[in-house]
Amino acid sequence: MNRYINLYLLEYSINALLRQKYKNIFITTILTFLIFLLSSMFFITSSIKKELQLSVDSLPEITVQKLISGKHYDIEVKRVDKILQITGVNDAVARVWGYYFFANAGVNFTLVGIEQFEGQYKDSFQSLVDGSEGFDDTKAYIGQGVREIMSRNYYKEYFNFILPDGSFKKIDIGGVFKADTNLESNDVIILSKDNMRSIYGMNEDHATDIVVKVSNHDEIETVAAKIKLLYPDARVITKNDLKVSYENIFDYKSGMFLALFIVSLFTFFIIVYDKASGLSSSERKEIGVLKAIGWSLDDVLKEKFYEGALISVFSYLVGIFMALAFVYIFQAPLLRDIFSGYSELKTAFELPFVFDIQMMVLVFFLSVPIYIAAIIIPSWRAATMDADEVMR
Amino acid sequence: MIKFKNVNKTFKSGRSHTVDALKDIDLSIKEGSVVVLKGASGSGKSSILSLISAISKPTSGEVIVDDKQISKLSDKFSSEYRLNNIGIVFQKYNLVEDITVEQNVILPLIPKNLDSHVVEEKVESVLDMFGIKEYKNSPVKNLSGGEQQRVAIARAYINTPKIIIADEPTANLDEKLSLDFIKIIKDLKGENKTIIIATHDPLFFDLDFVDEYIELKDGCVV
Amino acid sequence: MILSPEILAIYILNFMFLAFALIALYLSLKIYINYDKNSSDTIQYTLERQSYLASTIIKFIFAIKVPLFLFFIFTLDKLSNVLSGAMCGAGVLDATEYGTILISLKILNIYLFAFWLVLNKEDLNQEDKPYIKIKFAFFIGLFVLFLAEILLEYYTFYNFEVDKLVSCCGTLYSASSTSFVSNIFAIDNSIIVSLFYINFSLITFAYVFKSKYVYAISNLTFIVISIVALIMFFGTYIYELPSHHCPFCYLQSDYYYIGYLIYALLFFGTFNGLIVVFKDRFFKLSFISNLLFVVLVSIYVLVYYLKNGVFL
Repeated sequence: MNRYINLYLLEYSINALLRQKYKNIFITTILTFLIFLLSSMFFITSSIKKELQLSVDSLPEITVQKLISGKHYDIEVKRVDKILQITGVNDAVARVWGYYFFANAGVNFTLVGIEQFEGQYKDSFQSLVDGSEGFDDTKAYIGQGVREIMSRNYYKEYFNFILPDGSFKKIDIGGVFKADTNLESNDVIILSKDNMRSIYGMNEDHATDIVVKVSNHDEIETVAAKIKLLYPDARVITKNDLKVSYENIFDYKSGMFLALFIVSLFTFFIIVYDKASGLSSSERKEIGVLKAIGWSLDDVLKEKFYEGALISVFSYLVGIFMALAFVYIFQAPLLRDIFSGYSELKTAFELPFVFDIQMMVLVFFLSVPIYIAAIIIPSWRAATMDADEVMR
Repeated sequence: MIKFKNVNKTFKSGRSHTVDALKDIDLSIKEGSVVVLKGASGSGKSSILSLISAISKPTSGEVIVDDKQISKLSDKFSSEYRLNNIGIVFQKYNLVEDITVEQNVILPLIPKNLDSHVVEEKVESVLDMFGIKEYKNSPVKNLSGGEQQRVAIARAYINTPKIIIADEPTANLDEKLSLDFIKIIKDLKGENKTIIIATHDPLFFDLDFVDEYIELKDGCVV
Repeated sequence: MILSPEILAIYILNFMFLAFALIALYLSLKIYINYDKNSSDTIQYTLERQSYLASTIIKFIFAIKVPLFLFFIFTLDKLSNVLSGAMCGAGVLDATEYGTILISLKILNIYLFAFWLVLNKEDLNQEDKPYIKIKFAFFIGLFVLFLAEILLEYYTFYNFEVDKLVSCCGTLYSASSTSFVSNIFAIDNSIIVSLFYINFSLITFAYVFKSKYVYAISNLTFIVISIVALIMFFGTYIYELPSHHCPFCYLQSDYYYIGYLIYALLFFGTFNGLIVVFKDRFFKLSFISNLLFVVLVSIYVLVYYLKNGVFL
């Protein structure tokens, strides 16, 4: 009969595994742990990638910055008019934003300047302006992480910004600002453009950069090219460029992790090879008896591979399951900081659930074939043992 | 049915020491006969048994069973031959103690990958035949010596092989159980099985249904 | 070089394959040189045992290679998002001069490995092991090809640069390009299509009259003709665009991944067609597979005609 899985052989293999409990539990534990580690890493990076892609999606299609000697410089606001004239451009807005180093806490805030009656380039800003409390341009609206840091440093109702000339500018805190993703809003303070310019000592006809809205997705590259022709000193970044560079950063990070992981794979291979090679005398006798009964070399090999398949599939399923729980229920303590970049303000976001089949297949390829490879030679050695001994 | 032509078997023991287990053996065993191999340990009885069951190959000479030369078969074919034509009852039974009687008895059937109803039929019939049906699901370690031996015989018999080999079958049994065993052999002879028993138990030395006694000493037939 | 985890995984597995293939190579050489059917020296017995190790290794490599190949195709698709200019796997392969050779080599090797396994099974099934030397000599040759594949793969992935522009399949698979693929375009479509159906009729006749050798040979030619026909003719009906010839794009989700089914049927059918010389068992399966393949690609043409009243 040619069924593909020999059920009786399967039963025998399961019993054989149980008869060598300690050895097999040891191997299964290591394999499960490796798979757990590997898949956790992939789950975390996929989730952070998704989180970032979501935040990139909310960004404008094109960002135009001015470069002088390769460094970022304030850009002239009047360039907006020329850009608006390009076909396909829906809107162009000059942005004023930057970082502010708060010495007491040793952290950087992100300051964003908006104008109440301008079309906002981000929906989250629009909802702040349209919201019930509206936007008071004398006040500051802060993200959750900022608020915590500020209150820890006794700034609850207002904040003192230090201007370039050393003097203080006191600005009252108007409320808490909430954006689409936590990653985005955590370290943000929203102010009026005028306040921003005074904090940075920036000229009225300059801005940090210009963002361009292009409604037709397929036209983005062409518009970007046109802007580049218009202003050769500008750096033009499209949303897609950002997505690609994020993809690359994470591929790079997970690539590095994998490169280190290779060491553990190699060690694992050796451990399994060694463990599988050491046959106890009862194991030897058993194989001898099987061959004496009429099992061929192929049959014994097949049995060994059934054992291998049982261990590896079991470990794979348990490892993935544990990783799912670790990453999405317990939010991956410790591990995720390695990937999100450790920073005081960046910790409070939740990892979104991502189910990537390709990743699971990748984890499979990095674990199961390695294990099976490690048992090839030991299994063959076992199968080619002489049955002669059994008769004496 | 079984012929040995000029068979020699030497094997290495340790670095340079070689042992001549069998020297120039010529034998002929007819189908359906019961043959008892007599001789002290080390006289070559076990080697003859391994050669008949194609577990080992002669250093020179030929072993022919049913007009087929089994001495030079490749692994696949010699195992197939053994699986279908030979049933062995080992001296120490060599059962897997931690699994049940049924699971032990099934072992020779596993490589054949048969349908479950065929397997069940064979198991039932063989357990019935040797009177161990009630122990079907008990782990072998819970059984007595005599019961275990019957399991060993059942396992040897399940593929209904033409040749049954027993190596010192009564070495660990008391007289009563030894006589039980002898009775089983007699019944099996009735089914036209060729039975070869290697033993130095005197109980076998004067049996009426034994067709031939072959005595071995130092690897030669006396 | 793009250090993506998929590429790293492929590197790791390739390294492992190479290590094991080297062991198999060593054993193959040993057996080829020393095996003597007539001697009953203990060495022969050792060689027999070692031949099992070699064949187990080869089986293992093949078993992982096939799903890995599919994974490779997926990776190419994923990389097309990162390499500028590439919109599908074709563009990714074009990033280096050996891309097309790499994938042809991979497919060839899968065929050859599968063939080795069939040869091995036949050899073991006969008492006198007629093919034992041949099969290991064959493996020695196969090893060279396999090594070439691994090195080429390493080279190809190593040379991927994110900012180097690559061509899309639109330029690759057109009459105006300078790649060697464009030579196919010189041939008139009607000739290609007729050859395709004639070849298939030959296959059918060979099947009906159970002529094994004719069947095998016609399958061999069918592989080549089908791929050409797919690029030149059938592909355009799947895309419903007369200029879209790419053989990779229909592996993507936009076309419901139909490419996988098409290629699976073609490869399965022709491979079994080739080994029919050894084993009749797959004669029927091979024919059905080939038949389904022809039906599937023809349906796209028919449906287009029925929907639009004209051919492209």
